[in-house]
Amino acid sequence: MKKLITGNEAVAYGALRAGVKVACGYPGTPSTGCLASLLLMDLKDTYVEWSVNEKVAVEIAAGVAWAGHRALCTMKMSGVNVAYDSLISVAYSGCDGGMVIYVADDPGANAGMCEQDTRGFAIMSDMPMLEPKSVAEAYWLTQFAFELSEQIKGPVFLRSVTAIADSQAEVEIEEPAPVSQKPPLLVRDIARYTKAGSVIAMTQHRQLIERLELAEKIIAQAGINQLRLAKEAGLGIIACGVAAAYLEEGFEIAQAYGFRPETASILEIKASHPFPSKEVSQLLDRCPTVLVLEELEAYIEKSVYVMAQKLGYRGRIVGKLDGTLSRIGEYGVKQVVQGISAALKLDLPETLFNAGQEGLKLAAARPITVCAGCPHRGTYMAINQAIKRLKLKKNEVMVTGDIGCTILGMNPPFDTVWNEISMGASVSLAQGYVHAGVQTPVIATIGDSTFFHGGIPGLINAVQHQVNMTLIIMDNRWTAMTGMQVNPGTPCYDGLKGYQQVDIASIVPALGVNHFVIVDPFKLEETSTAIQNALVMPGVKVILARQECAIQAQRRGEKEGVIKITPENCNKCKLCIIVTGCPALSLGSDAIQIDPELCYGCGMCVQTCNKEALHKELAA
Amino acid sequence: MNCDIYFTGVGGQGILTIGEVLAETAVSMGIPSNFYPSKGMAQRGGFVKAQLRLGREHVGPNIPPRGADIVVSMEVSESLKALPLIKEGGEFVLLGNVWAPTAVALGKAPYPALEQVKEQIHLAGARLIYIDPAQLPLYQDETVRANLFVLGVLVHLSALKHMFQPSDVERVIRARFSREVESNLFAFRCGLEYSVEEAA
Ligand SMILES: Cc1ncc(C[n+]2csc(CCOP(=O)(O)OP(=O)(O)O)c2C)c(N)n1
Ligand code: SF4
Ligand code: SF4
Repeated sequence: MKKLITGNEAVAYGALRAGVKVACGYPGTPSTGCLASLLLMDLKDTYVEWSVNEKVAVEIAAGVAWAGHRALCTMKMSGVNVAYDSLISVAYSGCDGGMVIYVADDPGANAGMCEQDTRGFAIMSDMPMLEPKSVAEAYWLTQFAFELSEQIKGPVFLRSVTAIADSQAEVEIEEPAPVSQKPPLLVRDIARYTKAGSVIAMTQHRQLIERLELAEKIIAQAGINQLRLAKEAGLGIIACGVAAAYLEEGFEIAQAYGFRPETASILEIKASHPFPSKEVSQLLDRCPTVLVLEELEAYIEKSVYVMAQKLGYRGRIVGKLDGTLSRIGEYGVKQVVQGISAALKLDLPETLFNAGQEGLKLAAARPITVCAGCPHRGTYMAINQAIKRLKLKKNEVMVTGDIGCTILGMNPPFDTVWNEISMGASVSLAQGYVHAGVQTPVIATIGDSTFFHGGIPGLINAVQHQVNMTLIIMDNRWTAMTGMQVNPGTPCYDGLKGYQQVDIASIVPALGVNHFVIVDPFKLEETSTAIQNALVMPGVKVILARQECAIQAQRRGEKEGVIKITPENCNKCKLCIIVTGCPALSLGSDAIQIDPELCYGCGMCVQTCNKEALHKELAA
Repeated sequence: MNCDIYFTGVGGQGILTIGEVLAETAVSMGIPSNFYPSKGMAQRGGFVKAQLRLGREHVGPNIPPRGADIVVSMEVSESLKALPLIKEGGEFVLLGNVWAPTAVALGKAPYPALEQVKEQIHLAGARLIYIDPAQLPLYQDETVRANLFVLGVLVHLSALKHMFQPSDVERVIRARFSREVESNLFAFRCGLEYSVEEAA
């Protein structure tokens, strides 16, 4: 059956075609759509879950694979950092069932995180890595990844990038394979499944390297990396992953400037690790100049240099290391043409790819802000108000930030949050500021999913060492920023089933936090008073600001209230817009206006107006 | 025939729907397509872009600079972000909506004038097809969905008319929208009647 699907869905369908038994992961742009699509399918024989974080997900997948079954584990590149401690250990041990780690990188930082090139992890862990150049390739490479994993008896990386993960294209999809019902293996083999003892660990290391060598043979035999040698000794091009998708188009353009595509030898790399040495040496043998096209780091290119040195190659290598191409951002047609042009010294007009830059400068800045009715708005406003009431200035009170919609307090009109490191870091970062001697109150902010993911150890640390700080957990009941996934704290709203909710309100006191308050961020006075009180107390104080994400509540047809405007009272001072920055508010000709579609009725604007122009009525 | 379309706008306008409908139409006709939306974060009102590449069997998701045959923009300022993409001689469909960021609404930040934007499109060598949002038709006393109207204009006035018949697109609209089919079809058909005089 032909179907229009995304790259993420192609991985999901590929895994089903491979009869995957368990799929788990943690949401993260651009990888989220893979597991999300599996969850929507309501599968009978495949178990699917959003795990609490990526490390936990990898460990679950390892258990499945050690028991001889197939497991898929999905995450964004940042997740690999979290999971790596376990992953390297599993790579050493190997596995019996197929274990595929699907990771999506984000060259171009579309989602605003590090431009991390996860191929580096494949190199560090001696794990094979497959890289589709298109949605269709993602489908069959996923199936191959499971085969490969079982043949080498070790975990395999499948890497995509945003442009593929989020692209939609038509793919021929076959029926899912039946999921294996064979009894799980229970193998007690400490030489394989523990690391205690140098003999054990070093033997595993040797076996790991042997597995990678075997992978190279299997990949070469299957012809995964495609080499097309031209008859002539022309330009050699090595293109890795998505970069290969732009060759054809780049050739068409370069042709107009003297390039002859039929003279080029091409190696398309779809398995970037282990390094395809056989194919590269054939290419070097044929071509006096070689161009390497790969997004982000020069991993392939560096190995080409090593191979060139070994073979006594006398030609030229064009890529990042000679300064032609960049280590930053996505690659496309432009990089193909620039690379060819540098390799063959073609004369390209300067304006070929360069236009419109002047016009770009005129575009209005559009900082992202929280949605109309977002509960986080109330928390930022309350923090700002508490700081003001303590007669402090915003630039005197450190408010550490964390990952998620909660970080948007960094932007105007709030300017509340100062910084962001990684999931859970706000809690520990704040402690560092305290130990550094900051005398004013130190506040940490964190979302619910992030608290579960990585915030709890930091809080335990703060309690143990009795650090003077206030932690505000902004519990909107969902993992929102990545598009609304459930987390352990998500209540079982209509239709949600199959899990038990874990309540943050019972975790925090159990960790030894003595001062713990739950507030409703839509109640400004209550929330800011709670924060103000906490800021002047010693020790660890935790405030749980609890109110559901407005987008999710509205999807169920719920509203908090309806706002009535009394135009006679409005003097158009714009205070409500200035303080809340709510996108539902705008200035009309005689009074403030509210977009009834956007407005959630949270009442934050009502609580800023001092002219009695706005009133909240409870929703029917 | 190949056709590359670059979309820009802000979240909540439904601009991605235009691309999805066109991608589905292409697929239903056996035309290869790759549709690459960039949604950004969960919030509404942020910058949204998307790229639709029709006709090539093997194609990368990103349109090269100066490679877009058609630009579709549903927000005045966001149009400017498509300037590096539009081809000389390409078509630039602009719905003149303004979604002012808060700083602009408060008079604290500049926002480009429509005339400035039109001038930049002209300088890029593109043909402008301008749609005045005030001219969006009413369906049962409510303004129609702008995105489906724009889709109609596209299929009627841009190079896409050589690729798709209105009926091909209507089929997809019918299959896609279970609710509000009639109002969406109405908006689409009104777009099909948008005249070149107005577009000048
Ligand atoms: C290690 C890691 N995994 C996943 C992500 C992706 N991510 C970005 S925001 C976010 C959601 C955070 O949810 P929550 O803490 O509940 O805050 P909310 O967005 O709901 O306000 C996630 C999972 C990441 N940035 N880093
Ligand atoms: S998605 Fe939900 S939590 Fe995120 S900004 Fe919007 S309302 Fe707030
Ligand atoms: S009540 Fe006010 S602040 Fe809340 S969503 Fe409506 S307009 Fe925005």
